[in-house]
Formats: sequence, C-alpha cells, structure tokens
Amino acid sequence: MESWEILLQQVINGVSLGAMYALLALGFTMVYGIIELINFAHFNIFMVGSFIAMWVMQLMGFTGQSHVLYGLPLTAMLVFVLCVTMVATGVLGALIERFGLRALRGVSGTAPMITTIGLSYILFNVILLGAGADTKNYSNPMPNIRWEFGDAVLHLRELILWGVSLVLMLALHYFVRRTKMGKAMQATAQDQEAARMVGVDVDRVVIITFFIGSALAGAAGVIFGLYYNYTNFGIGYTAGLRAFTAAVLGGIGNIPGAMLGGVLIGLIESLGGQYLAVRWTDVIIFSILVLVLVFRPTGLLGRASPTKS
Amino acid sequence: MTETQLQPSETAAPPAMGRETSFIPAIWNRATGIAGRRGFLIAFLVIGALLPLIDRNEGDIDAGANALAYAILALGLNIVVGFAGLLDLGYAAFFAIGAYAYGIFSSYQVQPEWWGFWEPFQWLGLVQHMTSPDGPGTVHFTVSFWLMLPISALIAAFFGVLFGAPTLRLKGDYLAIVTLGFGEIVPIVARNVPYLTNGAAGLNGVASPTLFGYSFGVQSLPFYYLGLALAGLLILISLRLKNSRIGRAWLAIREDEIAAEAMGVNRVKLKLLAFGIGAGFAGTTGTFYVAKLQTAAPEMFMFPVSVMLIVMIVLGGMGSVAGVVLGALILQLLQSVILQDMTQWVHAFGELTGIEFFKQLDLVQSIELIFGIILVVMMRFRRQGLVPERAAVTALTHAQQTAVPTRGAVAGGLAPLHRRPIDANKPLLEIRGLSKSFGGIKAVRDFSLDVMPGSIVGIIGPNGSGKTTFFNLITGLTKPDGGKVLLAGEDVTGLLPHVIVERGIARTFQNLRLFANMTLLENVLVGTHTRTTTGAIGAVLRPPRVRREEGAANERVLETLRIFGNRLMPRVQHLARTLSYANRRRLEIARALVSEPVLILLDEPTAGMNPTETLELTDQIQHLKDRGVTVLMIEHKLAVVNQIADKVVVLDHGEKIAEGTPKEVHSNKEVLRAYLGRSTDAVAEAAAAS
Repeated sequence: MESWEILLQQVINGVSLGAMYALLALGFTMVYGIIELINFAHFNIFMVGSFIAMWVMQLMGFTGQSHVLYGLPLTAMLVFVLCVTMVATGVLGALIERFGLRALRGVSGTAPMITTIGLSYILFNVILLGAGADTKNYSNPMPNIRWEFGDAVLHLRELILWGVSLVLMLALHYFVRRTKMGKAMQATAQDQEAARMVGVDVDRVVIITFFIGSALAGAAGVIFGLYYNYTNFGIGYTAGLRAFTAAVLGGIGNIPGAMLGGVLIGLIESLGGQYLAVRWTDVIIFSILVLVLVFRPTGLLGRASPTKS
Repeated sequence: MTETQLQPSETAAPPAMGRETSFIPAIWNRATGIAGRRGFLIAFLVIGALLPLIDRNEGDIDAGANALAYAILALGLNIVVGFAGLLDLGYAAFFAIGAYAYGIFSSYQVQPEWWGFWEPFQWLGLVQHMTSPDGPGTVHFTVSFWLMLPISALIAAFFGVLFGAPTLRLKGDYLAIVTLGFGEIVPIVARNVPYLTNGAAGLNGVASPTLFGYSFGVQSLPFYYLGLALAGLLILISLRLKNSRIGRAWLAIREDEIAAEAMGVNRVKLKLLAFGIGAGFAGTTGTFYVAKLQTAAPEMFMFPVSVMLIVMIVLGGMGSVAGVVLGALILQLLQSVILQDMTQWVHAFGELTGIEFFKQLDLVQSIELIFGIILVVMMRFRRQGLVPERAAVTALTHAQQTAVPTRGAVAGGLAPLHRRPIDANKPLLEIRGLSKSFGGIKAVRDFSLDVMPGSIVGIIGPNGSGKTTFFNLITGLTKPDGGKVLLAGEDVTGLLPHVIVERGIARTFQNLRLFANMTLLENVLVGTHTRTTTGAIGAVLRPPRVRREEGAANERVLETLRIFGNRLMPRVQHLARTLSYANRRRLEIARALVSEPVLILLDEPTAGMNPTETLELTDQIQHLKDRGVTVLMIEHKLAVVNQIADKVVVLDHGEKIAEGTPKEVHSNKEVLRAYLGRSTDAVAEAAAAS
C-alpha cells in the first residue's frame, strides 16, 4: 500500500469510529449541559444498546453472516432495529433518571456522580451475569459492496453507518433549535431557575434529555455491533471514556462540539493506531483529555466554563 | 475535637436524657463522637491483635491480611473523597505504582549491566553485583522492604501531584473523569513496558521482607500483624489530620469551595495535599501487598479495585474514619466468607428441589452487582453511611431553648480584633476606577471610593446595581477589568481570594455560604486558617506548638462567638445546617471576624432578621468599630444604615451616584430617582429639557 492509501484508509476508519463516538458524546454533553452531571451510566447504556440490537436481530432470524439484504428490505430492517434499540435504551435512560437520579438532583458534592457509577455497574453486571462474559458474534445483513481507491477500501457498510449518524445528528439539531421542547432545553441549560419561572417543566426537560441522550447511545451501540461485528459486556468502558474525551474536546455542553470532538477522536484513534501503536491509543487519548483540560478547558467550540462551581 | 479544646460552660449541658431522647442514641453518640475516637483505634488494634490467637486457620489469617490492605487503601481514598470531596476513580493506579516500585527494586526483573556507578549502592546494600564469567556482570536490586514502604508513598504521591495539579483547578467532575482515565492507562503502561514490569505475565520473584534476620516468607501471620500496624498508624494519621487545621480546610473545600477560599483557604494547594497524601497511602499499601503476594500483574490494579474502594467508603460513611474501616471489613467478609457460604446453601437448596438454576448459581460472581446496588441504595437512602461522620446533634435543653436572648459582652475591655497598626489619617481602603463587565452588562463602572479606618460605610442601591459584584471584586472572587484596590496603601487588585483574606479583608455572603455539615465551632475555626500555621506533618505529630496553636484558636473562636451572647454559644457543637436563618448570618460574621481582618465586608447582614434581631445586630456592628475593625456593608434596611453608617455610597447601574452622610444622601435627587423612579417634577424637567 502506498502511504496515501494507508492515510485514506485510516481516515475512512477514523470517520466511522468518529460517527459512533459523536453519537455517544452527545448524550454526555446534553446531560451535562442541563444538570451539570457526568453520567457514568451512559457508558453502559451504550453497551446495553448493542446487546438489545443483537437480540432484536436474532429474534428476526438474523444470526450468522449468511442473511444479506438489499435495497428496501435492508433499509426497513435497519430502521426497525435502530428504532427498537433507541426506544429501549431511551426508556432505560429515562427510568434511570426518574428512579435513580431525580431524588439526588440539586444535592451538592459527589453523591449524584457516585450514583451514576453504581447504576453503570449494575447495568454492566446484569449483562455480564445474564448474557455471559464471552464475546458475541453480530450478524451483518449488509451486502459486501465496496469501492476501491487504490488499495484503500470503502465499504457500503461504512457509508450506511455514516448516514445513520448524520441523520440522527441533524434530527437532534433540528429538535433542539426548532421545537418548543428544544428551546425549553436550551433555556434550562442556561438557567434552570429562570426556565422554571417562565413555565418550563424542568423535570420533564431533564427526563427527555436523558431519553434522547440514551437513545443516541443505543444507536451508537448498534453502530458498534455492525461495524466490528461483535459485542461484549466490556465495550462501554473504553468507548465511553473516548466519547467523553470527545465531548470535552468539543466543549462540554456544546452539541456541535460533541459531533466535532467525536470525529476528531475517531481520527486520532485510527491515525494514532496506524502511525504510532495501537497499544498506546488509550494513552494518547488520555493525554489529549488532560491537555485540553489544562490549556483549553472550554474545548474547541466552548461553552460552559468548567471552572465554575 | 481535640483534648486541648476549651469547653465553654454553656455547652457543658448534660446529655439530654429526658422524654424526647432515648438511651440508645445517647450511647451511639458517644460511640461515634468525640470520646469514641481514641477508643475506636485502641479497640481496633486489640481485637485485631487477638483474632489470630482465636482463629489459627492460615486461610482466614491470609484473608484478614488482605482485608487490612484494602482497609488501608480505603482510608487513603477517604482522605481524598471523604475529607476533601474529590472523587478519585483511578485510585488503584497509585496502588499499582507502589506495588511496581517495590516489585522492580526487589526482584530480578531489571538487571542493568554492572559498572562503577553502582558501587556506592552496593555498599548501602541496595544492589548486589551478580558476577558473570564473560563480562562485567549485572545489577540485582535488593532494596529493603522497610525502606520501600515510605519511598513508595513518596513515588505515588509524586504521581498524584503530577496528575492532580492540572485538573484540581477545575470543577470536581473533571477530576473524576481524569482519574478514571489515569486509572485505565497505568495498567496499560504496565502491560506495554515488559522491560520494567514483565508485561501481562506479571512481575515475579519479588523478595519477601525480612526483619532482624527473620524472613516473612509465604506465611500470612507476619503480614497480618504488619498490616494491622500499618492500618493502626493510618487510622491515627487520618484522625489527627481530620481534627486539625488541615482537615478543617479540607472539609470546608468539600462543603463550599468558594466560601473556603473566601475564608483564606488556598484550595488548589490543599486539594493537592489531599490528593498527594491519599496517593501516598496507596503507594505504601501497594508495596505491602506485592511483598505479600510476591507478584504483581496489571489485572490486580484495574478499575473494579477503585470502585470497590469507593463502595467501602460509601457503605461505611464518607469522611468517617471508623466507618471506612468498618465498610472495608464488611465488604471483605462479604466477599471471602458470606457469599461463599450462601452459594453453598443455594446449591444445597438446588439439589433439594432439583432446580437447575439454583444448582448453578454462584453468588460470588455477583459481587460487583452487589457493589453497584450498594452504591445506588446508600446514595439514595443513607448518604451519610453506616457510621456517619457526624454524631447526631444533641438537642438543647428546655432551659436553653427558652432562655432570653442576651447580648454579648463586647463592650468590656477586650483586645482589638486585629493586631496591626493602622495609620488613622490615611484611607484604609482606596478604590480607584474599578470596572467590571459581564458580556454587554457593565456591572461596575469606573467606581472610586475612600474608606477611612475605623469608619462604617454603607452601600445602598437597587437590586442589580452592582453591589455584590463590587464586593466580589474587592475580595478577589471576580477579576476586575480595570482599576485598582489599595488596602493601607498596598495594591491588592486581582490577588487570589485567600491572599486577600491574609492581607486583612474578610467578608460575609448575601446568600449565606456556611459549611453546612461542619459544627459551628469548626466553621469559625476555618476562619482562623490564615492566622495559624499548622501543616500536615504538624497535624499528625501534634508537637506542643501545634497544641498551643489549636488551644489559642479555640479560645479566639469562643471569644468571638460570645459577641452574640447566648445566641450561638449553646450550639457550638451543632452542625451549621441546623441553625436558624438569623443565626446563620451571625455565624458568618463570626467566621469572618476570627480571620482578624482590618476591614470586614458585610453583604446584607440583617436580611431576614426581625426588628428586634436587626436592632441587636446593628448594635453589634457598631461595637466592631470600637474594636478597631473597619466595616463596609451592603444593606437594604435604611434604618440600619442611617443609624450606624458614617458614610453612605449609592450605586445604580454599576455607577456611584451619590456619596455622603446618610442625611446628605437621602435628600439627593438622583438617589430618589433610582429608588422611587422619576418623580413628576423630574419628568416635567426632563420634558422641558428636551
């Protein structure tokens, strides 16, 4: 492979990872923007999402790599799996907010964050104990159509995943900017008290934020499964940490920032893996997290200042 | 509290044993309270020392030694999470650093080539020369275990400070995520540098400690007693730190970072100290643990270890030393005894009923699920843990509750509150052209003011006119865009809040920022932070100098609290959050006063007080003047300002619109307009002018 071909290939891989990280980062950034809480349960809502999608596909009869669909049936099947997964993880996120976190809202100190760690651990272990520790094969219903640019390859699969992320992000952008609920969200993020005073039902805004963030994490889980063709109870930890770094890199609380940060982290992972070493990827990403926090704590696009207490 | 603490006669009320309080809480108070602390340490050591004599089972003793190692780790993490309120999710990384430090310096893993450089180390017994027939031979590290115990603490503390420093300036949440990342990468690094660590296979052949020629070998008993001694030492260190100037500053940061800073606590430095000491505990434990296991592998230090330690702290009680030890022991017992026994019962039940599910069920595997459930349930229903950090508040007696409020005895011949000479003819505070904008809003505009020493200056103005911003600019909580603040001729513009307190400006807050879960006494003691010097080492060793300083600080605090008569004195051991609104205001003033300020800024001191209380406080503020403190106060109650202010300044839209005696200001047209809107005259005038 020529060096430009390697570069192109890694950019293609990086954008695919980035699309997934961006979806996952959105959940962190939205919840943080509204109630200034790092939701560690988000790590494993993502993981649960990848399992739900796998089970849905198994129920539909897709188990191995043999079932390949084309055209409309493929679209319908993917849309169906995504919808079911997103609703399920969205409801999971909303339940976590309602029964786990609402009672602790406004409690200062470490208690809310510790609760999200506990919830995350529960999700993690329920899947571990229920589904087992072994890595599960994911079925791949997408045809193996590929475009070659020299030795670099772009699969239809990747194009579909990019499209899914893009559509979801545009839908989110439209929702936040144009709908009444979206505006209530923006208002709550700026000043919860003031929003409450002008009639915004803050509890409802918060639970919907959790629903949407978790639904996007579910979609990211589906993308993970379809991209790597496997899932495992442990995927939430690494991916979650990277997605969080993406959210910080873009500017925590900033929705376009999370999308940008996600793609950048995806590219850093693939290019860093190529030109440095895969085993050092996590160290590189962690260094980026620390460097951003030291030198530009508001992130690339900036918003809420992390120094405010 | 400390043994040197002065107990005022008002607080020496007998424990309430009337109808309202039952006997059991009284015992519980005692067990978890002041008297129980030393007793806890002694009981822990005695019971711990006796256990191996009762249970001689090697496996049990080994489990006990492990439990002690985790108890020490939990104690260290408690300093970070419980005392200073910093959520550290990568604590196991420091454990790993301590473990690998000893592992590398006491095994055959790293064998550099021998040359002259190593000879001095050989004389010191730190290395051995491994001769080889063809060449200079190699170096074998043989650093003593006993030497490595403190060195590992220092190495781990160094890494703690290195990674804490960039993030401790930010909000606490970021520390959680950075430590999570750090906790993940340390095992990765350990795996990726096999030269030092033997990678994933793990470091083997770590030397066993020897003591006076006696080798610990693979027996559990010596490790058990060593662990017990270390745990006892660290319990003592934790208790002493907590009840010291340093510990109070940590708790203050945990409760309210901004208020702590405004009371003179250097928050970045103290957070780093907590982080470093916590890491140090972990480093020492790492060395202990790896010497016991004689091997170290990356898997031993992953995220689940950090979570388990947090579960121990949450279960026992954040910030509670006895609670954390209890939490650690309960979880170890659960893991190594209870779940195993229960699994056998469940299997027996499965055999009995023939249900396959119960035959297969292994409860030990569900330990992490149980951890998650413990975290959620404790946070939801019992956030203070099994053994709360604070004993329940003893109720006041009926007599104390119904006592007629007395005014304090300030008028008597007390020393001035501060000890520095002030030039009475020069302004104490000079403000020159101070400005601050937030976005497009000019909160304070080109503001200048002189405050003469020994005067009371009132600042009035409509809500939103920039009064509190002005206070924030003086005290360093907000950085000005322009202008200067001079205190006794010295430029203090833009200094950090804690430095400004040290220079002699103290403040109270409009919306009350007390340390809610600390007692009244501790709240006010935090105010003495800049006037005392005890450091972490002094707090642990408690030499006579430190005891004297603690005693003097306590006296100072009680003397200051007496300003408010019997309002606060009977409640000195109560938590600040139990106070009434008016008493909270009084407590904030007392907390500011013990920092021995030359200038005190009071932000609406009488807000929320009834007329009698207002009158009482007005008097007390006047007395402050007699004791040499200059007062700058924001106040909405004009009656108060009129009565005691020597000078009144009126702010509107960030600008000074009037300054003068109360009388002059009240007849000022601009002031009337700002407060009452335009009068009909003014409207007519304006119409005529246009």
